[in-house]
Amino acid sequence: MNFWFAVLRQTGRNLRQTWTSQFMTFLTVSLSVLIFAFFYLIYTNMIGAADRLSDDLRLIVYLEDEPGVEMQKQLRRKITNFDDVEEIHFISKAEAYERFAKQLGNDSDVLADMPKDFLPASIEVVPLKSLRGYSQIKLFSEYLASLPGTEKVQYGQEWVERFYYFTRLLTIVVLLSGTLLILTATFMVAYTIRLTIMGRQAELELLKLVGATNSYIRTPFLIEGLLQGLMGSIIGLSALYGLFQWISSHFAGPGLLNLFHFNFFPPVVIASIILGSICLCSLGSYTSIRKFLRI
Amino acid sequence: MIEMIKVGRTYDPDITALSDISFSVETGEMFFLIGRSGAGKTTLLKLICNMETPSNGLIEVAGYNINKLKGKDLAHLRQRIGVAYQDFKLLNDRTVAENIAISMEVSYKKPRAIKNRVRELLDQLQLVDKHDTLTGELSRGEQQRVALARAVANSPRLILVDEPTGNLDASTTKQVMELLTRSNKAGATIVIATHDESIYQQSNHRIMELSNGRISSLTRGGKA
Repeated sequence: MNFWFAVLRQTGRNLRQTWTSQFMTFLTVSLSVLIFAFFYLIYTNMIGAADRLSDDLRLIVYLEDEPGVEMQKQLRRKITNFDDVEEIHFISKAEAYERFAKQLGNDSDVLADMPKDFLPASIEVVPLKSLRGYSQIKLFSEYLASLPGTEKVQYGQEWVERFYYFTRLLTIVVLLSGTLLILTATFMVAYTIRLTIMGRQAELELLKLVGATNSYIRTPFLIEGLLQGLMGSIIGLSALYGLFQWISSHFAGPGLLNLFHFNFFPPVVIASIILGSICLCSLGSYTSIRKFLRI
Repeated sequence: MIEMIKVGRTYDPDITALSDISFSVETGEMFFLIGRSGAGKTTLLKLICNMETPSNGLIEVAGYNINKLKGKDLAHLRQRIGVAYQDFKLLNDRTVAENIAISMEVSYKKPRAIKNRVRELLDQLQLVDKHDTLTGELSRGEQQRVALARAVANSPRLILVDEPTGNLDASTTKQVMELLTRSNKAGATIVIATHDESIYQQSNHRIMELSNGRISSLTRGGKA
């Protein structure tokens, strides 16, 4: 019989003897992982959606007058002085008229009596991907608004602002729920291991007296914590996946979910959550061993 | 096998359990420790197996200063010492077989070997029918035999036995002594703390008497 066989058998005994408290801990860990992963899934999808939306982000700078070639060069220089940008398009009054007419399609007749220069000239600025944070965009738009000859700057401020505050709120929820649930799971595992240790003092003392090594006595408790983390996270993530599938199948079609292209976690994130759960539960177990297992 | 030089043990607030104990036990010897209750026999056995530490003096077991051993070294030495405690230290929610097996499991003996050894010992102590009985359900005499079986199960080099026949009738006492004698003949050093005269008077082994925590005599049995 080797070390691992003996240790695994001892772990099996521990689990059998304290299965009720082990089961409660397992449920707590599963639930903690489920709640945390649920918020995290929404968060990652929101961030993904924000990324996709920001691909279409452009700042429209309406100008008082149509700039000449020299003025265009100056404006281009001024804009790139602030930061590099993806693209800069100058849209003349005539171009603006054509675009608008195109957008109106069959209703373009309404423009028949309008002069072709009634729309203001503008600059369409596509910022760099790296400049997509809300505060950066705001700062950039303020800069653009301060350029000479600028009437106003538009980039869907309200929508961007709301989305920004929503994702910020979600970040706080994820961080808070994550921290609280991590603490709960770790504490529960530590407490269960502590109960197991307390309930088996006589056996632990005997094991010590008959020559069990410290690792022979300690390892089963560590494995218990590890198993709690592994099983709890697998069940928690499986439950979330079930929920995700159910929501996907019941709310499929044109709606909010399709707008955001909801995706489940990629394998790397799943593995990280499982690994994180294992590490935290093992840590809980380890602290109890250090504190209460006197060998 | 055992060397004790000027060993003493005091407990708070100033109770002297043992004082100035010096003696040696040779490898392969069977050695009896006698004396009235409270004379210090159990304390002496606890010191030998490092369950307690001496207040002063030196204790060497198998050439090692047992009080300086730690971790794996101490664990390995303990695997070579079998102890049958006066209070048995059995796990009452485990079966007889599981209790006996525990001392072999910690030395990673093969499951088949453990199973065979357990059966062999239960057979020798006439406890075969109790194989799957929880030790909490056994009589005191049966528990005592299980504790002894656990002590000898791992074929240790040193066996310490505290009052092995305290709860036994004459015929069971004979079985127990036969088991210990067999282990002794197989090379194990055996120290028996007892006040049952019947088991040491007719032997030719050394007998050390303790009185008030001191050695009062060191003689050979009546057969010598």
